[in-house]
Amino acid sequence: MASFELLTPATVDAAIATLRAIEPARRVVLAGGTDLLLDIDDGRAAPSQVISLRRLPWRTLDWVEGSLTVGSTLALRSLEKEPEVARRYPALAQAVRAVGSVALRHSATLGGNLARAAPASDLIPVLLVLDAEVELVGPTGSRSLSVDRFLVASRRTAIAPDELIRAIRFPEPRPSAYLWQRVRRVHDISQLAIAVAWSPDRKTWRVAVGGIPPRSVLLPEVAAALGGERPGSSELHTARARASRAVALVADRRASEEYRRQLVGVLLERAVRSALGGGAAG
Amino acid sequence: MRPSVRPDAAVKLAGKAAYGMDLDAPGMLWGALVTAPVARGRLRSLDLEPAHDLPGVVAIGPDDLPSLLPPSRGEPDRAIFPTEEIAYCRQPLAAVAAPTWAGARRAAAAVRVVVDAEPALVDLESLFPEWPGPDARRSPNVLAYVHAKHGDVEGAFRTADRVVEETYRTAGVHQVALEPHACLASVEDGVWRVRTSTQSPFGVREDVASLLGIPESSLVVEGTWVGGGFGGKGASLVEPYALLLARASGRPVRLALSYREEFELGRTTLPAVIRFSTAVKEGRLAARRVRLLLDGGSSLPGRDFATGYAINFLLGPYRTPAFEVEGYGIRTNKPPFGPHRAPFAPQCAFALESHLDEVARAIEVDPWAFRAAHVWRDGDETPLGQRVGPFGLRAALDAAGELARRWRAEIGPGEGVGIALGFWSTNTGAGGEVRLELAPTELRVVQGEREIGSGSVLAGLAAVAARATGLPPERISIDYGDTSRAPFDSGVYGSRTVGALGRAIVEATASVRRTLAERLRATEPVHLGVDGGEIVAITGTVRRPIRELLRPEERESGLVATGQHYARTGSIDESRVVEGAFYPFTDFTGSAHVAQVAVDRDTGSVTVTRYAAFQDVGVVIDRETARAQVEGAIAMGLGTALTEEAIWSEEGRLENPGLLDYRIPTLGEVPVPEVTLIEGYPGAGPFGAKGLGEPPIIPVPATIAVAVREATGAHVTELPLSAERIVRALKLL
Repeated sequence: MASFELLTPATVDAAIATLRAIEPARRVVLAGGTDLLLDIDDGRAAPSQVISLRRLPWRTLDWVEGSLTVGSTLALRSLEKEPEVARRYPALAQAVRAVGSVALRHSATLGGNLARAAPASDLIPVLLVLDAEVELVGPTGSRSLSVDRFLVASRRTAIAPDELIRAIRFPEPRPSAYLWQRVRRVHDISQLAIAVAWSPDRKTWRVAVGGIPPRSVLLPEVAAALGGERPGSSELHTARARASRAVALVADRRASEEYRRQLVGVLLERAVRSALGGGAAG
Repeated sequence: MRPSVRPDAAVKLAGKAAYGMDLDAPGMLWGALVTAPVARGRLRSLDLEPAHDLPGVVAIGPDDLPSLLPPSRGEPDRAIFPTEEIAYCRQPLAAVAAPTWAGARRAAAAVRVVVDAEPALVDLESLFPEWPGPDARRSPNVLAYVHAKHGDVEGAFRTADRVVEETYRTAGVHQVALEPHACLASVEDGVWRVRTSTQSPFGVREDVASLLGIPESSLVVEGTWVGGGFGGKGASLVEPYALLLARASGRPVRLALSYREEFELGRTTLPAVIRFSTAVKEGRLAARRVRLLLDGGSSLPGRDFATGYAINFLLGPYRTPAFEVEGYGIRTNKPPFGPHRAPFAPQCAFALESHLDEVARAIEVDPWAFRAAHVWRDGDETPLGQRVGPFGLRAALDAAGELARRWRAEIGPGEGVGIALGFWSTNTGAGGEVRLELAPTELRVVQGEREIGSGSVLAGLAAVAARATGLPPERISIDYGDTSRAPFDSGVYGSRTVGALGRAIVEATASVRRTLAERLRATEPVHLGVDGGEIVAITGTVRRPIRELLRPEERESGLVATGQHYARTGSIDESRVVEGAFYPFTDFTGSAHVAQVAVDRDTGSVTVTRYAAFQDVGVVIDRETARAQVEGAIAMGLGTALTEEAIWSEEGRLENPGLLDYRIPTLGEVPVPEVTLIEGYPGAGPFGAKGLGEPPIIPVPATIAVAVREATGAHVTELPLSAERIVRALKLL
């Protein structure tokens, strides 16, 4: 691996100051490092400075009035081991367990996953359907963005060069599910993934598809097809049909377009049934 | 039985085993390869100057070879660096060495390579869209051609009740040894010396000496601990470049591939197309035509062997009154074909066993019964006329059939149970020798192989020596030496270590006993034993310490005896060979596997829920090691079956040169298999042992394919059996 200088600012202010002091092209921000270090190892990234967030007080998990706020540098494994997460945000727990392996999840973070904005992220589709907000902190204070607005394209986000992700805030709990298809159960990337969530008032759905470039997207027309009440088989049928048309399903070395089209419908129906409690949907 | 502790466990767990990746020497430079950016093209220019300009960098290209090599200039047919035609993507074009790893990589990147790219030949079938015609053999793209025929094939097809024709396709698979190729080379006082992670120090010596055009006696190869071989470390790969860099720089040079390079440069099993045409008469196989197109990459080492040996596994262990086989090795713009655990046999078994299933279904016969009706029994003849036996496959098939019936009674919807067979033969290779040194308190077995992780050297040879001498294993040490000190051996491949070197140990042991008998003037056979910490010779009621039987000149060396084992194979009926070389078997090793799978019909996902192997082993030499070989082979075979596939772009670039997109199974995908070792059908090894490193991988892809078909009806004719292919076979796409 190429050599670089590792900086470990101890406070948020120091971290922001460090960001401002170094030209963006010459430095990278390190959270868990499970994606970034591969880039450095492969020569895709050649920073002269690596700014580690490990000393910042952001490895937190807070419940406020039943809603969850996750500090950006909390290891995914800690999130996974919190029983209330699985109970209140099942899709989030399912997505976290889908990431890499146990060893990797001891290092990987929610903030890092979001900042790296990989098209194959298992977490982003779930953040989209759960309506999560990204809390950014910069030299002039903090701001919040919806995950949908935060993501710009594959590997591109709306974060400013001198901003950091402080936390990810989840609104009130709701029924949800995350299902994926991949060649291998662990240590793999999803060929296609579907996240669904039912609003707390049980009136609307949110559906997102992941595992396909350029980025995970919400599918509002598919969500609309599911209707407000418990979707029955005709709603599911319409939603499946729309889903297979709603998104440009590309072919790559991980799956063909036709296979992804097959998966999008199968996983959508299964995810909705899972969110509804595993019982019959209608 | 108490599990035994592997002899290499302590040194490896303590991190004290030095692998090729760990080698270090004072003043060492790091090597790196400059490789071709395209799979096919003409090399217009290669400018090493930008690399030379970097501090401490040595760079060599084709123009430097005359000054680096002795006057003989090596093998003319195998260029170390190409000067005109590029044969595959990432073919080495030049090499550099620098004081640091990063410096070497920078220097390699600095070399300016200009090529005129040409359309690459990648897809095996694009060359002969129909099938190779009679003139194809003269095509420069046909690397090998074999053809054999026996019986009235035409007549059998004419009068058949039913003819079943099918085409199968198999993928390129990589060995995925944990440790990439790595070596440390030096050239001093006319001695070329390389320490390397290899399955065959003597094989590397022969290969490198011929490549460089130097006498074998001026090259010393020392094997290191090996982080897995699986066939990929049988021949030289990085050694010639490291040696030439060492020669050019006057410094030791370490050259280690990155894992990406390991995928891109490593030599392994490449894709194939297999066509069967099978004539059935009155429920029996009447005649078979088998045709093989094997991707040979840019060259096919062993030429006829790859095709002429593989053909045997496409005919399989089944009685066949009449047959005709044709095999082509085709040149493509990929790295040269290389061996991968039981080279190409799992792919052959997949195609053949799937096809026999199809034939049995076509004539409405139970696939198990159909196999049982045709499987070789001792005394049968192979298609090429060799006498079969002793062969434990029928016993394995019976046991597998009984287990499969039990499992079938227990499965639910979406589940299926499959059985498939495989066979193999111990490859004795170019033979080998051992030297035994009997000292007062230990017996040293000196030989030329390093342990590659299978246990065949450290556990296997020790177990043979213990059984041959009667000494407890803790009194036996397995020593190795570099190629200037160790007795010759052709290497750890072909499931041959215990078979070949084990026989040499048995022979050397007999010599030791004879010498001891002379010295004791014994009238009865001499045995060895241990008394009060010392090894003793026992004959009748006499027990004498070895210490007292050694001559003065044997104080250091102990009592020395050597043993040899060179190839001993059967013969084939040459009248059945039309063209090319076909090979007889040393012995006959059978495997019958049973798999239970659960398949998600809508996504094609396969879960292997239960797996069992019945393995003909001749005789068990070391039970733990034998069982581990079978378990490991099943895990590896599940990768070939379900997920592993090298993907090349149309331009001939490997698209998945990494462990993310080239997927080997994890423990999450591999059930703990039930392993039954079948004894009683002796093979060519010591005490009747049969080689075991390769046979248990052979039936795995076939067994999974048959089970998936049982579970879903999906008849997939291509490896790997990806979820997508299964869904496609179910006509859902």
